[in-house]
Amino acid sequence: MAKREIPEINAGSMADIAFLLLIFFLVTTTMDKDQAYIRSIPKKIIVDNKPVEVEKRNILAIKANSQNQLMVRGEIFSDPDKISEFILKFYRTNQNAPGQYIDNDMPLYSIISVDQIQQNIDVILGEIEAMEAAGTPADMVTFKYNQLAEWEKKQRALKIYGKNELPEIHFQANIRIEVMQATAYSIFAKIQTEIEEAIYQLRDEEAMRLWSVSYGTLKRKEANENDKNKVKEEKDKLDLLDILYPARLIEVTPKI
Amino acid sequence: MSKFKKDGKRSMPGVNTSSLPDIVFMLLFFFMVATTSKETDPTVKVESPEGSKAMDLTPFKQRSEVDFMYLGQPRNPARASQFKMGYALSLDNVVQATPDGLYNTNTIGQWKKDKFEQKPARMTSPIELVITCVKADKTAPSGFIFDIRKELQEINALTIAYAVKDNGNI
Repeated sequence: MAKREIPEINAGSMADIAFLLLIFFLVTTTMDKDQAYIRSIPKKIIVDNKPVEVEKRNILAIKANSQNQLMVRGEIFSDPDKISEFILKFYRTNQNAPGQYIDNDMPLYSIISVDQIQQNIDVILGEIEAMEAAGTPADMVTFKYNQLAEWEKKQRALKIYGKNELPEIHFQANIRIEVMQATAYSIFAKIQTEIEEAIYQLRDEEAMRLWSVSYGTLKRKEANENDKNKVKEEKDKLDLLDILYPARLIEVTPKI
Repeated sequence: MSKFKKDGKRSMPGVNTSSLPDIVFMLLFFFMVATTSKETDPTVKVESPEGSKAMDLTPFKQRSEVDFMYLGQPRNPARASQFKMGYALSLDNVVQATPDGLYNTNTIGQWKKDKFEQKPARMTSPIELVITCVKADKTAPSGFIFDIRKELQEINALTIAYAVKDNGNI
């Protein structure tokens, strides 16, 4: 009785326990991502002068009333899935004739050449110099610098576009969302979805045509790439697509 | 004399399975670390509408550049009548009145400002770029969204995100 052998513990069921835990975690965790449409709110400014008149052809108004009925450019839409088609039409109708006047109700396209962009950059550079010499308020100078950045962005975009001229949709062309206070959020989100789908399709097709890559791939590359030069390259491509197909959204605050 | 001893009755040695639990535990720990659980269960019912081509907010979450607010009907039906049209806003699990009732107290603005001040020091984005993600219920009136926008505009937090459920691609 002096030395009793200790029996070995059977660890065979340990695996079962661990499996049970594993399966429990697998089942209970949710893998759903948070997905959303990111929009920017306009900065609060106090304006005294009257708002600028926008030509009718440049406005694409998508309205929804408190009964969740949709109206696009004054026509009742029974099928909300058709909105994106209309948006495509809005962008594409006059796209093939940039710089010409066409008698319809869709926005016109203009063209800007390499030389014109360079001219604009030179003019702004001159203005900045004069302003800094005269000691104008800093925010005015910053404003000019922002303008300069815009033009330089266009210059870079045109370089990768590989042409001498850059077609641009009318600078006032915009998509306007007008909902009422009682409109269901699902309708509001549906309108956002349709806009996003249309813009995505336009940019995707352009990206395929220019570089044979999809727009989604470009965005992913830009987000995940570590090499700084490569990121810049992708960013310039995305900027070009943004200039060719700008998403100008106006979300009108409902009054009733 | 044969070189190979033939033993008719040789039993197979049992496979040593003592490292199996280790392997499974490793898997378990991997899943425990890799999955993100829902950090808050909002006090209001939210079922997001469906959408497609939405932006994935995960990178923003990793940089803590996004704050979530929930808009829906309170889970406790008795409380619903307290709020305008029965909808309430849940900020960090505290049910607030809908934005309409908040203009004087400016709760949303204060909440967002506090959130911004509590951000880790490594975050360098200005408040204009810090996303406020509104998770609203399908049935919620859109007017509330615009009330929230107005509040955010006041404090110059200019990036908003409308949450949807994207079943398109994962």
